[in-house]
Amino acid sequence: MRSNKVGWLLLTPTLLLLGVFGILPFIYVLFLSFHQWNPFGASPDRIFIWGNNFRRLVFDGEFLLSIWVTLKFAFFAVFSEIVIGYLLAQLFMREFPGRAVFRTIHTLPLIVAPIVVGSVWRLMTTPSIGIIPYYANQLFGIDINIGRDAGTAFMFTVIMDIWHWTPLVTLTLLAALLSLPKEPFEQAQIDGASRAQIFWHITLPMIRPAILATVFIRLMDALRTVDEVWMLTGGGPGAATRYIGLHIWKVVFPKTDYGYGSAISVIVLYLTLVMCWMLYVGLVAPRNKGN
Amino acid sequence: MAEPLEPVIDLEAVDEEAQEVAARAARRGFLPIQTNWFDRLFIAIYIAVALILLWMRFLEPAGVSIYLCYVLVLVLGAVIIRKG
Amino acid sequence: MRPSNPWLNVALWVILSFTTLFPIYWLFVISVKPAVDLFTTPSVILDTVYWRNYVEVFHDPTLRRYMTNSLIVSTGNAVLCSVLAFMACYALSRYDIGGKENIFFWTITNRMAPAAVFLLPFFLLFTKVFVIGDFKLYDTRIGLILLYSTFNLPFAIWTLRPTIDGIPRELDEAATVDGASTWQTIREVIWPLAKPGLAVTFILIWVFAWNEFLLAATLTSFNARTITTGLSEYVTTTGTEWGKMAAISIFTLIPALIIFSMVQRHIVAGLTFGAVKE
Repeated sequence: MRSNKVGWLLLTPTLLLLGVFGILPFIYVLFLSFHQWNPFGASPDRIFIWGNNFRRLVFDGEFLLSIWVTLKFAFFAVFSEIVIGYLLAQLFMREFPGRAVFRTIHTLPLIVAPIVVGSVWRLMTTPSIGIIPYYANQLFGIDINIGRDAGTAFMFTVIMDIWHWTPLVTLTLLAALLSLPKEPFEQAQIDGASRAQIFWHITLPMIRPAILATVFIRLMDALRTVDEVWMLTGGGPGAATRYIGLHIWKVVFPKTDYGYGSAISVIVLYLTLVMCWMLYVGLVAPRNKGN
Repeated sequence: MAEPLEPVIDLEAVDEEAQEVAARAARRGFLPIQTNWFDRLFIAIYIAVALILLWMRFLEPAGVSIYLCYVLVLVLGAVIIRKG
Repeated sequence: MRPSNPWLNVALWVILSFTTLFPIYWLFVISVKPAVDLFTTPSVILDTVYWRNYVEVFHDPTLRRYMTNSLIVSTGNAVLCSVLAFMACYALSRYDIGGKENIFFWTITNRMAPAAVFLLPFFLLFTKVFVIGDFKLYDTRIGLILLYSTFNLPFAIWTLRPTIDGIPRELDEAATVDGASTWQTIREVIWPLAKPGLAVTFILIWVFAWNEFLLAATLTSFNARTITTGLSEYVTTTGTEWGKMAAISIFTLIPALIIFSMVQRHIVAGLTFGAVKE
């Protein structure tokens, strides 16, 4: 090994950059969350107020609502993506002509900018322009208006997320399925196991780590969805699709109530970390059981 | 051929020691998973924050002092870090 | 598995591909229609193509500036992250650095945090704290480049590490024996071998930076606005010009599509932090 000084020297810019732009903002936001500070408010000075911001936050109905809709959105979106993604991955397991081409097409949405995804779906669903409301009305007589009906707006944010991210799930689960050994399946078929039995007792336990890893990645992303939803619904109607990132950006941030905004940011970070950590434990704990 | 140099450190002993350190670092307490002290500190902080927030929401308006919660959190944290 | 008719599968996939492609096709349809035609019966088939939206968007000086900004920021960010990650990975791979696994892991956790959480601290740091004389990081391209690095540098380190670890140590040891300096070793031995991996990392980071919206929207106001922010501006200020909005969307989409055709195989590995190899 050569002198470690060179090693540290090579590492310094990275550590410096991540320190200044990664750690410092975190410490700063934590510091501010215990202060009252609104430069354009009645008392523009920064005052230390202990946990009062947090005391205010637990009674903030708008904030709690946005947490709730975010969780609902993340649950529906990730759950549907896993189910659909698994089914599509199973379809890809079979040999058929043009498989590579279909797979390429299927990967396409992943690379589209979230903001463009939002605008695409807005053009699809806006009444009088979009094709979905038009045909829903013509064929089934259903009136779709995402600007007015909260349930529909929510549903379309979920559909949009499914369109955007299911390919990722499909391809991760496909990779997991392809890496499985063949023997257990052949043996089970010889023993006359039904397809449901094979799925619950062989496939599912074997690809469990892959599923959990995918859920982990997807959930982290779904919880911080902002761009697409902003373009599609603008958080509306009312606050029905104002997910937490959007709430911070569009409601908390413009109020210039920096202390309280920091407290909200800290709690959102806390909630994300807790979920992240619980999933991580769920991922790692089964592996350590053998020890 | 020269005699191989006598090893200054008994490698096997070092190995055992290292394993012991590792076992001390990551162990099973009453928590359902293997943890090292850092994990336990994290768990303690997670639980503390959740407790304080819930206390502020439900118990403080009912007249129960928040300081009671702080004491509870500190005790719980100590227990988790020592025994978890 | 159970033998099934492969053509059934093909038929199913044709339908699924249609579902995938149709929204993008619809975007294109809207972008090549004059505004008056939009509110008639939606028709899927294009009979006439109307390019005015594209011409107008292309000649709009504001949008051109946004486009240039996006290009500069993405490229700058990709260069910065690739170079720093290359150096960092080389250090982590070849030197005996105390606690290096912790450093590695810590850099990754930096990426997991939601961007919205950091809007406020970044905004305050950029407008009030990181101020030298008249210079603020707020609304500058260099500010955005540095900011994106927080999220993209960990990603670059994560994806580049296996590449650098995979280059045999004997090669640089041999170079050292031949009297090469560390700098020469890096330049003549490691760099050429790491190039393919580096290229993929570079391209993926470029796309991430190009696609980013939230931070750009909050931390720029005029000079450094990117095309994604321009797109959102179009909707809120002139919500009725759907054709132009679609045209800008297409402009935003094109670079990503080109990239897509280049690194299609690596996208999934990239998006899952290399957890999935194809």
